[in-house]
Amino acid sequence: MAAIIEVQDLKRHYPMGHTVVRALDGVSFAVQPGEFVGLLGTSGSGKSTLLNLIAGLDTPTSGRLKIFDQNLDQMSREQLSLHRRKNVGIIFQSFNLIATMTALENITLALMFAGMPRVEREQHAANLLRAVGLSDRAAHRPSELSGGEQQRVSIARAMANSPAILLADEPTGNLDSKTAKEILDILETLNRQEGKTIVMVTHDAVLATRYAHRIIQLSDGQIVANGTSHEPAGGTA
Amino acid sequence: MIFSDVTRLAVRNLREAKLRTTLTSLGVAIGIASLVGMVSLGVGLQELTVGQFKKSGIFDSITVFPENRAFRRGGPMRMGRRAAENKAPEPSKPPEPLDDKAVQKLSALPNVREVYPNLRLPVEVKYENFSEFASALGIPLSSRGEGVFQKITYGSFFNNDTDDACLLSMDFARNMTSEDPKNLIGKTLSLGYASAMDIAGALANLPMGGMNVQRVEKKFTILGIIEREPGPNFGGGLFSSVMIPLKKAEDAGATDFTNPQALLQGLSNKKSYMMITVRVRRMQDTEDVEKKIKDLGFNAFSINDALQGAKKAFLILDVLLGLIGSIALAVASLGIVNTMVMSILERTREIGVMKAIGGSDWDIRKIFFVEASLIGLVGGVVGVVLGWSVDKIIGFAANFYVTRQGGTPAQMFFTPWWLVLGGIGFSILVSFLAGSYPANRAARIDPIKALRHD
Ligand SMILES: Nc1ncnc2c1ncn2[C@@H]1O[C@H](COP(=O)(O)OP(=O)(O)OP(=O)(O)O)[C@@H](O)[C@H]1O
Ligand SMILES: [Mg+2]
Repeated sequence: MAAIIEVQDLKRHYPMGHTVVRALDGVSFAVQPGEFVGLLGTSGSGKSTLLNLIAGLDTPTSGRLKIFDQNLDQMSREQLSLHRRKNVGIIFQSFNLIATMTALENITLALMFAGMPRVEREQHAANLLRAVGLSDRAAHRPSELSGGEQQRVSIARAMANSPAILLADEPTGNLDSKTAKEILDILETLNRQEGKTIVMVTHDAVLATRYAHRIIQLSDGQIVANGTSHEPAGGTA
Repeated sequence: MIFSDVTRLAVRNLREAKLRTTLTSLGVAIGIASLVGMVSLGVGLQELTVGQFKKSGIFDSITVFPENRAFRRGGPMRMGRRAAENKAPEPSKPPEPLDDKAVQKLSALPNVREVYPNLRLPVEVKYENFSEFASALGIPLSSRGEGVFQKITYGSFFNNDTDDACLLSMDFARNMTSEDPKNLIGKTLSLGYASAMDIAGALANLPMGGMNVQRVEKKFTILGIIEREPGPNFGGGLFSSVMIPLKKAEDAGATDFTNPQALLQGLSNKKSYMMITVRVRRMQDTEDVEKKIKDLGFNAFSINDALQGAKKAFLILDVLLGLIGSIALAVASLGIVNTMVMSILERTREIGVMKAIGGSDWDIRKIFFVEASLIGLVGGVVGVVLGWSVDKIIGFAANFYVTRQGGTPAQMFFTPWWLVLGGIGFSILVSFLAGSYPANRAARIDPIKALRHD
């Protein structure tokens, strides 16, 4: 089966005065469709940098980055925005919901960018909210929602345009362990039932090994381990 | 993203910052109000002036003068001077005299309806104890209902050119009597004038060379009194203190005594006129006929010339007033830039989120452009209403003052529909342009940095 994400000698350097910060320094790996990959590593190891490159939020200094056989490293800003809209859904540690919009509006916003007509997108957003168990919170603003609820809205938003890939950057970083499990269960369901390919950044090795099929470990911008998780996914808490 | 959604988001954003939006729009409104107010003043003054032209003159008439150097140095018609300078006379050729032959030549031109000389007769007007020298002007009967004769204040226009009837100007009528000038209608006054007749050598010792100047006194019935509004008077604007039918002036054997050239030519037994009026069939013929008259070697002037000149002058005035009015708008547009940049700083993270969930640079740019344009639209509409209201108030106050000082009220401000639409359109345009810097800045925001922003 052809890889859905293919990374080859990917580098992202930040020139800082006279020195260069090598946030990502020659990373190569591939992700198959339907895989749940955990990105592990200490703080500053380059996890977010890698995820942002796959998301098309950032462009690499050098190397190859292919999604669905499309070269992201050669895309224009306009093409990258299309990639973000169609291919990937992003979930952040700090949720990043728009504070002045209700849960439903936060989801319809993503559908607006895709040009979906109003009635249709409101219906669709309501369905997505139901899927994450938040039908009764549709009219609430983020400030009126708990962390776990906010993260569920943000998952619903990431799913809005039915992307094949979900990218999550420490999605449970701001949540207690019980809520974290609920969120990861939702991601696991999406992976299993809808076949979403998931790349999740975490520095919690226990959670990573429990949910991910495979763990890629980064250190100082390089891959130090890339192997199948031994613990069965969804194991006992 | 479809346009209605862009607008929806823009409206949302503006609503989120109500106070800021209101203040910024108000700034734009004041800018547009000052612009519309100023241009309304320019347009109002222009309308007033053009209105005066229309009242005082006849648009299908051309005044013809002899091509004359003395005239060029500043004749009685200042506006005519420019027309004369356009075509310098050839020094070798003597100027074409404005005589009966000239009348025939002018009558023969295509599209000419009527040609008549402008005869002014110095007269002594006597009425009861009143006596004053004035100039009596010969009026062709075809002038009925035209120019100043559109409105005869008291009485009526000449019925025919056989009756000894006259029209008076209101000023002159007021001088004649201490009563209401209205009562003069139907009364009789006497005009004393010198009639120049050639009597071959019979009375050689009389003054003025070979001419026999004979004093004649004749009774005329006062048929009408005309109040003329102040304003320019030229072109076909026939008006004088005393007006008699043209035929009567001709019968009086009147040589134009105000024309020294005519006096000289009188010596050689040839009558010539100071001015001849040519009436064309349709107004649009004026220019063409005027050119033909000039080609004949005369000097010609029409109210159209003056009107075109005045319109040009007013265009400059409008632009100047517009520029002054735009100063406030320029300041307001800086306000838009400021507001939008502030809003971008506040919403940086939001812009980052929008990009992360699929918003393109153009989507972001459009949102900010529409926000700026909406400020322009609201500011424009409010500004036009505001400018119009302020004009009304100033106009009302000014007229109140003018009326109390005994003047006639006039509409100084005029806001035509094109100014209303133009004002709103300009407001949107300026706001759009002011929004272009913030919009581009927002569009170029790096989503990663923006997402890290608090
Ligand atoms: N814009 C930037 N300019 C300079 N250096 C940067 C920039 N962004 C990231 N870095 C550096 O790149 C390195 C990797 O950063 P990254 O955010 O990918 O780490 P991370 O693995 O996600 O860490 P954490 O677990 O703390 O989130 C860090 O050393 C960071 O300082
Ligand atoms: Mg990180």
